[in-house]
Amino acid sequence: MNKDLEHSFVTLLEKNQNIVHKVCRIYTSDSDSHNDLFQEITIQLWKAYPKFRGDAKFSTWMYRVALNTAITLYRKSKKNIKTSDYDALSFKISAEEYDYEVEQRLKLMYEAVKKLNDIEKALVFLYLEDKSYREISETMGISEVNARVKMNRVKTKLKKILNP
Amino acid sequence: MDELELLKKDWKKQDDKLPKLSYDEIYKMMLKKSSSLVKWIFMISVGEFLILFLLEVIGRVNGAYEMFGEDIIYKNISIVSNVISYSVILFFMVKFYMNYKTIQTTDSAKELMKNILKTRRTVKYYVITNLSILTIALTIAFGYVLFGGGDLQVTKELADTEMSKYAIMTVFFIFIIITIFIAGLIYFLLYGLLTRKLKKNYKELKKMDL
Repeated sequence: MNKDLEHSFVTLLEKNQNIVHKVCRIYTSDSDSHNDLFQEITIQLWKAYPKFRGDAKFSTWMYRVALNTAITLYRKSKKNIKTSDYDALSFKISAEEYDYEVEQRLKLMYEAVKKLNDIEKALVFLYLEDKSYREISETMGISEVNARVKMNRVKTKLKKILNP
Repeated sequence: MDELELLKKDWKKQDDKLPKLSYDEIYKMMLKKSSSLVKWIFMISVGEFLILFLLEVIGRVNGAYEMFGEDIIYKNISIVSNVISYSVILFFMVKFYMNYKTIQTTDSAKELMKNILKTRRTVKYYVITNLSILTIALTIAFGYVLFGGGDLQVTKELADTEMSKYAIMTVFFIFIIITIFIAGLIYFLLYGLLTRKLKKNYKELKKMDL
């Protein structure tokens, strides 16, 4: 086994692990599935790593592989994904500055995101990560115009979910 | 959309609260894929042991063994073959468990490759041993029924039939072949698919080695 390759991979992943955690957060609802997805993404990243040429940024490449893995797994186990635990999680994340009204709005918003399909989740995720439409289009392998159109549709869908 | 902006703000605040995995934890994660396969191999062997045991108990309770009457030699043969086959399963169960434990704590890809090969070998020996035992046990049992001259109920019944000994032997022979074939097929489905996945993992690891 090429020790240098292993070492460089693990170091990069350790540094950028937040990206994977956040993908897991969008696609899973409890810590067990979070860990499972994290591991699966790690394995997929490692498998693809020899093909990573360094012409894209490591983090951009990670977004792509991580989202692809999550989407593939999500499709496979669609029926098994629980949504009930999600409220608790979103509460935990921002319980620090407790503002009941904001908290409620956030909770509804997280619930709404949870109702989106796999691709829409990926779009919202990249949007939340403050990615430009160009970056979104590169990561998702679609055109920039298409990314804009899709994102607008997602926004409308979210609105509909929030105000049925 | 205001709500989305609110979510974005909240989303950015989470960085410090996300889990932090260490270098070692991530490193181990890359290698762990095989460990769940090996765990399944172990679990299936446990399941196999339990099912065989249960079938045996059900068979005895329902009197399926009564057709052999009180023949002492036959009883001994059946006890010996039972002891052997259960010990073999137990022995391999322990082996599978040990393989699983070693793979779980393996922390280098080289070691992992070695362990994958070892596990595949163990499974191969297990299947070969079990099928051989089954063949030998069936052959001895049928041989004794036909030629043993013991005091078996079924021997008497067979003597009363119109069929010649050769015809009965042929039927037994076909029966043995079909049984072994079915057992082999079950083993292939149970273990073959798992070991094939292990082989795939091995190949992936090897590819990265180049």
